[in-house]
Amino acid sequence: MKKLIAIVLCLVMVVAAVACTSKPATETKTETKTETAAQGKVFNIYAWNEEFKGFFEKYYTVPEGVTVNWIINPSDGGVYQQKLDEALLNQANAADDEKVDMFLAEADYIGKYVNSDATMGIDAIGFKNADTMYKYTIQAATDDNGVCKGVSFQCCPSALIYRRSIAKDVLGTDDPDEVQSKLDSWEKFEAVAADAKAKGYYMTASFAETFRTFSNNCTMPWVDANKNLQFDPMINAWIEQTEKFIANGYTLDCGIWDDEKNQQMFADGKTMCFFGPAWYFNFCMGNAQDPEKGCSGDWAICEGPMAHFWGGTWLLAATGSDNAEMLKDIFETFTVNEDVCSKLVANEKQFPNNTKVVDKFANDATYGSEFLGGQNDILAFSKLTGNIKWENHTNYDQILNESLQSCLQEYFKGSVDKDTALATFYQKINETYPDIVTP
Amino acid sequence: MSLENRPSSGRRKSISYAKWGYIFILPFFLVYLVFTLVPQVLTIYNSFFTNYMDGLKQVGPDFVGLKNYVTLFTPNKQGIILILKYAGNTLILWLLGAIPQFAIALLLAVFFTSYRLNIKGQGFFKTVIYMPNLIMASAFSMLFFTLFSKVGPVNQLLQQTGLADKTIDFFVSKVTVRGLIALMNFLMWFGNTTIVLMAGIMGIDQTLFEAATIDGANAVKVFFRVTMPLLMPIFVYCLITAMIGGIQMFDVPQVLTNRLGMPDRTSFTLVMYLNNYLSTSKNYGMSGAISVIIFIITGILGGVVYKFLSAQYKDPVEKPRRVRKGARK
Repeated sequence: MKKLIAIVLCLVMVVAAVACTSKPATETKTETKTETAAQGKVFNIYAWNEEFKGFFEKYYTVPEGVTVNWIINPSDGGVYQQKLDEALLNQANAADDEKVDMFLAEADYIGKYVNSDATMGIDAIGFKNADTMYKYTIQAATDDNGVCKGVSFQCCPSALIYRRSIAKDVLGTDDPDEVQSKLDSWEKFEAVAADAKAKGYYMTASFAETFRTFSNNCTMPWVDANKNLQFDPMINAWIEQTEKFIANGYTLDCGIWDDEKNQQMFADGKTMCFFGPAWYFNFCMGNAQDPEKGCSGDWAICEGPMAHFWGGTWLLAATGSDNAEMLKDIFETFTVNEDVCSKLVANEKQFPNNTKVVDKFANDATYGSEFLGGQNDILAFSKLTGNIKWENHTNYDQILNESLQSCLQEYFKGSVDKDTALATFYQKINETYPDIVTP
Repeated sequence: MSLENRPSSGRRKSISYAKWGYIFILPFFLVYLVFTLVPQVLTIYNSFFTNYMDGLKQVGPDFVGLKNYVTLFTPNKQGIILILKYAGNTLILWLLGAIPQFAIALLLAVFFTSYRLNIKGQGFFKTVIYMPNLIMASAFSMLFFTLFSKVGPVNQLLQQTGLADKTIDFFVSKVTVRGLIALMNFLMWFGNTTIVLMAGIMGIDQTLFEAATIDGANAVKVFFRVTMPLLMPIFVYCLITAMIGGIQMFDVPQVLTNRLGMPDRTSFTLVMYLNNYLSTSKNYGMSGAISVIIFIITGILGGVVYKFLSAQYKDPVEKPRRVRKGARK
């Protein structure tokens, strides 16, 4: 009897162990056979935050019978790219319902996906780019052979976002045009920073606040054709400026996404300038919009010392998706559909990728953003769109920009000297991208 | 079982139950083989190849012999062999946490098991000291990061009580960063160690303690002459497992320093180094080589600790003393 029990127990263990590994495989196989004909029943979207998810759930009606799965991983440190890469490389072996159907990509690394077989051309799903789209958004999503692989639902010219009350105190005016005339070069910007400091304010709230204004105006990419790392004069200019700003106490030494910086957006914050596109103040300046501690309405935008753009979210069609129809629908909804694009402006403070809608709001005298104290942000941003050039991008930009900032932060905080900080930066590159040759 | 079988089984001269033992441990060995041994061998194999991802394209695998190891041990332009620096960091971070961990755990274990102190509410205390271990290490370090950030409650408290006149940046100095990491590791593990050591002490025959006390030994003497020598096997086990855990230290510094091991990578551990190679470019060659080195370091240190400490408890401690006692008479 004991033997019998022992044998049964052993069998149970072995069966359980085997069952754990084999069961899911057989289940999924049977499922896929039944439904390859029409549209897939599961639509998988990879993203790095909830921004687009919010718009998607509000403005897109998912076809009946389709479940939308959001797989969200944080962008920080390249985590999103890692997870996405794993999924895309496994795409061919994955069951239809497990396949990535659409994924979001940012300006810093979109090239990596556009120039790969992981994405498919938008004509393959029957979508055509419209004339109302901003040129650079199409360029960014187009591969070296001229095949466009996705669309962006936003256009991202970046502006100087300033606190009206502090500007009044420091510059004597909060009118965007007058403020612009007093801040239209880096010399003036620095002079004003000194004035602001004298009155107890900070010019910016992060040592890396102006990084994008410089890095976006680089004349050469981070790596050359032979994969040698190169420092653009603009990057060096940023370092020099930041050294000065830190030494003089014009800025705080925290990173651009730190809580310490975000606290400066509250009503009792002491910082005058932030830099960012429309998505920045509507998605990342939550503290400023806080009903109790915030200061909505005390803000305005102007071009600032140097024209630039920052980021942007593209929607890319993943090769192997079984939901071509739905992809086309989504692309249309967020780029061509004027009704939805208008709602993105009116309700979400977005700057849409649709010139028609932009013109409509820019010429609408009654339109004004409550957050910006009634200023017509669409008009202000539309003037900046002409400056956007899509050039000098590499697949490595995200990690390089991030690492440069984090390594130099130690230098700016004074815990290491500049050479050590740069050596750590090079070391980080060697670890992350074995191909790049560092000095 | 039918009646026919009974006499036949009774007629057997001996019954081997050993095979059932083997059958029962078979699942473990199968799982070990598939999920531990094979990956381990593959890691060593991979460390001789160049094999990584450039974006979505795979580079290699190309056999390169010991090149990955040579790269790891080549000094950088500042003349530092980075892997040694990170190995040093790892050991320091572990020791800073482990020394108080074992000291406090031993003390608590002795207190809790002492029949003289007879502490009340032991269940409560044991639960409380074990609690920090139940929290995920990354959540725990996130909590510490928030607590000690420049705008965190610790800074507010220090300023309100007048202990600090301006904001303290805890992440600029290696003393504070290492201190925080050590503190977290200590908090997470001392409860666990206490409970294991308590089990060890309770396994010691109580009459020995009583005899020692009757002989006039005070608490300190009892601890060093009776408790420690008899606890050694358990103590060494705790120490070696803690050390293996320490060499693999990753999540606490990774999350607390946001992957950077700041300042100047002085809180950067071996596994964080490995992770940097593995995360973006899936560099199996280099990370395999680092893994092998970690494996070797663990093996050596484990062996040294085991040899050094087990030598003490294997020696018959009581025998010579008895002789001495007799001689004194």
